[in-house]
Amino acid sequence: MIKVNKHSTASSTIRSILVTIAVLSLIVCLTAGSTQAVGLTINKTTAQSNQIVGNNIIGGVPTRITWEATVGANETVKQITLVFPEGTALGEGANSKATVLDDLTRLDAPQTSTISAEQTTVTFDEPVASGLLIRIEMYFIALPEASGEYRLTGSYVDSAGKERELQASRAISVISATTVDVITLWMDDQPWVELWNSVLFLKVFLNPQLIVASIPALFLGWLRSLLLVLVGFPLAIPIGLAISFLRMSKLRIIRFFAAIYVNVIRGTPLFLQIYIAFFGLPFLGISIDSYILGILVLAVNSSAYLAEIFRAGIQSIPKGQFEASASLGMHPAQTMFHVILPQTIRRVIPTATSEFILLYKDTSLLAAVGVMEQMMFAKSMVASTGNMTPYIVSAGYYLLITLPLTKIIAEFEKKLAAADDNSSAPDDKKKPKMSLLERMKSIQKIKALRNKK
Amino acid sequence: MTSMSSLQHTNEQPVVRIIDLHKYFGSLEVLKGVDLEVSRGEVVTIMGPSGSGKSTLLRCINLLEKPTSGQVWFDDICITDPKTNINKLREHVGMVFQSFNLFPHLSAKGNIMLALKKVLKRSQEEAEQIALDQLAKVGLSDRADYRPSQLSGGQQQRVAIARALAMDPQVMLFDEATSALDPELVRGVLDVMRELAKGGMTMIVVTHEMGFARDVADRAVFMDEGVIVEQGCPEALFDNPQHERTRDFLGHII
Ligand SMILES: Nc1ncnc2c1ncn2[C@@H]1O[C@H](COP(=O)(O)OP(=O)(O)OP(=O)(O)O)[C@@H](O)[C@H]1O
Ligand SMILES: [Mg+2]
Repeated sequence: MIKVNKHSTASSTIRSILVTIAVLSLIVCLTAGSTQAVGLTINKTTAQSNQIVGNNIIGGVPTRITWEATVGANETVKQITLVFPEGTALGEGANSKATVLDDLTRLDAPQTSTISAEQTTVTFDEPVASGLLIRIEMYFIALPEASGEYRLTGSYVDSAGKERELQASRAISVISATTVDVITLWMDDQPWVELWNSVLFLKVFLNPQLIVASIPALFLGWLRSLLLVLVGFPLAIPIGLAISFLRMSKLRIIRFFAAIYVNVIRGTPLFLQIYIAFFGLPFLGISIDSYILGILVLAVNSSAYLAEIFRAGIQSIPKGQFEASASLGMHPAQTMFHVILPQTIRRVIPTATSEFILLYKDTSLLAAVGVMEQMMFAKSMVASTGNMTPYIVSAGYYLLITLPLTKIIAEFEKKLAAADDNSSAPDDKKKPKMSLLERMKSIQKIKALRNKK
Repeated sequence: MTSMSSLQHTNEQPVVRIIDLHKYFGSLEVLKGVDLEVSRGEVVTIMGPSGSGKSTLLRCINLLEKPTSGQVWFDDICITDPKTNINKLREHVGMVFQSFNLFPHLSAKGNIMLALKKVLKRSQEEAEQIALDQLAKVGLSDRADYRPSQLSGGQQQRVAIARALAMDPQVMLFDEATSALDPELVRGVLDVMRELAKGGMTMIVVTHEMGFARDVADRAVFMDEGVIVEQGCPEALFDNPQHERTRDFLGHII
C-alpha cells in the first residue's frame, strides 16, 4: 500500500474504482440471493400435446399450458402476469385460471383474470401467502407456428404493490405442423369424423385420424420389412439350391446331412430359430448387427423350404430329359443348368412365390428381438396412442405386397396348366386328339397282343 | 448267327461290337449274354416282345445303362472301360427316344443348337446354320421357332432326329421312334429314317415296323428274354424264321 501511495494519482483512481466495483457486486449478489429466496420459484412449465400421435406440441395449434410456481419465504403474491412468446395466438374460448395449493390441498382463491395474445394476468382478491403453490392453467393457447423452444416470461406484484420480474419459465418444445398434422387436426373438427368415432369399434380399430397419421409413420417400417425379405429371400435361393443338390447326392452320407438340415429347420418354429440366433450368438462372443442377423436367420430358414421346393421341382422333370441331354454328350452340370433348371424354374415359381409371401409375413417375428421393422413401428405407435388403428394400417401394408403376389401366382398357375394342355400343333387343333392316357392304353393293348404266346 | 452269308455289309472292322453283355436290375437279369456286331453303314433292326431287353441293350451302347458285365466297343474304344470319357463317346452316338424327349423350354431350333454350342463349342451363328440345315432335311424349316408343345408328335420326333444328327454322329440308335405316334404321323418319321439309311448312316433301330425293316434293314435281330434268339436278313427272318419263339412272335405281330 505504501508503495502504491508513493505512486501517481492515476493508480489511486484505479484503486477506488476497483473497490467500488467490488462493493457493488457484493450488493448485487446479496440482492439477487434475497430475491430468489423471497420471490417466486418456478417449478414447472408444460404444454399438453395437441397431437393424437406422439407427444409433440405443434405450433399454431391451441394447446393447454400449465405453469407452476411456489411463493417464496416472506413473500406474498397479489398478481401474476405471464407474457407469451411473440407470435402466440389465442384459440376460441381461450382463458386462464389459477389454482392455489397448499401441498395437496386446494385453497379457495378468488381471482380475476384477463387474457390476450400477448399475455395473461391473474389478480388474486387476497394475496397468496408464502409457501403456497400457484398453478396457472391457460387453455387454447396457440404457440408460434415455427418450431423451437419457447419460454414464458412476465412479472408479479407482491402485497406491497411492488412489481418484480419473473424468472423465465422452463422451455416448451414446439414443432411445426406437418401436412399430416394439419390433416388430422382438421379432421378433429369434422362432424363426420366425430360421428364415426362415436362408434367404439370404429374409433378403436379404424380411427380416421390415426389412419392418416399411421400411413406415413409406418412407411419406413414397411420399407425395412420389405428389405429384410428382399435381401433374405434371394440369399436363400442359392443356399436352397445347393441343399437340394446335396439332398439328391449319390453319397448317402451327404444326403443324410442335407436331410438333417432341411428337417430340423422345417420341423422347428422360426420364432425359436430367431431366439437361438439372437440370444445364442452373443454367448459365443459373436455380435452381428441385429438387422443383418435378422436377414441371415430368414435366409437360412427359407433355404430349407426352398431346398424341398427345388428338389420336388427337379425330380418332377421327366427322366427322359436327363437322358436326352446326356445322349447329346452334355455333362451332368450342363444338363442341370441348361436343360433341367430352366424347366424347374417355371414349375417352382408358384410355390417359391408362396414361400416368399410366407417369409415376408414372418419378418414380423423379428420384432420380438428388437429388429426395427413394420411390427415394431406399429407396436410403438399403438403404445403411444392406445389405439389399435396402427395395427390395422400395418395389415394394409402387408396386404399391399401379399395380395398382388397371390394374384400373380394364380395367373401363373393358370398359364402353366394351359401350356401343359396345349401339346398339339396349331394345324392339328381342329381334329380331336387322343389323350395321353388313351394313347398309352392303346399302345399297351398292341403290345399285349404281341406278347401273347 | 444264322444266314451270316446273306449279310451285305463290308468286311471292315465293326463300328459297334458288343461282347457277352449282361445287365442286372437288382436281381433281375435283363440281358443274359448278348453278342452283336454292327458294321459301318449297316442298318440293324431289333424286334422282340415287351420286356425282352431291347431298350436296355440300346441304352448300354451309349451307357445310359451301365452294363453289369461284358464289353461294348465303339471303333477301337472300349466304352465299358471306366477310364473312357463317356460324354466324348456320346457325341458320336446319337439316340432317338420313343417319347421324343425334346427340351420343352426351347424352340425346335434351340433344341438342336444347345448341344452344338455347349458340347461342340460352335458359335451361335454356326450352330444356328447347322440347326436350320438339319431342320430342312427333316422337312421342318417352317417350324424352327416353334416350341415342342406347338408341334405334332411326328414333328417333334423329326426335330429329335435332327437334334441327334446335328452332332454328326457315327451311329444312330432309335428306340421305338414311332411307337408313340398316331398312325398317320408314323410315315413322316419313317421317311426321314429311310433317307438317313440311304445316306449311309450306321443305325441300330428297335422297331416293330415290319415294312420299314424289310425295306431298309441290312439285318434283322430277334430278341427274347435277354438274348438274341435269331438274326439274319429281314426277308429270311420274317418269311422263314428258324426258331419257335420267333415264329410265335411274328405270328402275333403280323
Ligand atoms: N431302370 C430299371 N430298373 C429296373 N428294371 C428295369 C429298368 N429298366 C428296365 N427294367 C426291366 O428290364 C426288362 C427289360 O426292359 P426293356 O425296357 O429293356 O425291355 P424292352 O424290350 O425295351 O421292352 P418294350 O418293348 O416294352 O420297350 C423289363 O422287365 C423291365 O421291367
Ligand atoms: Mg423298350
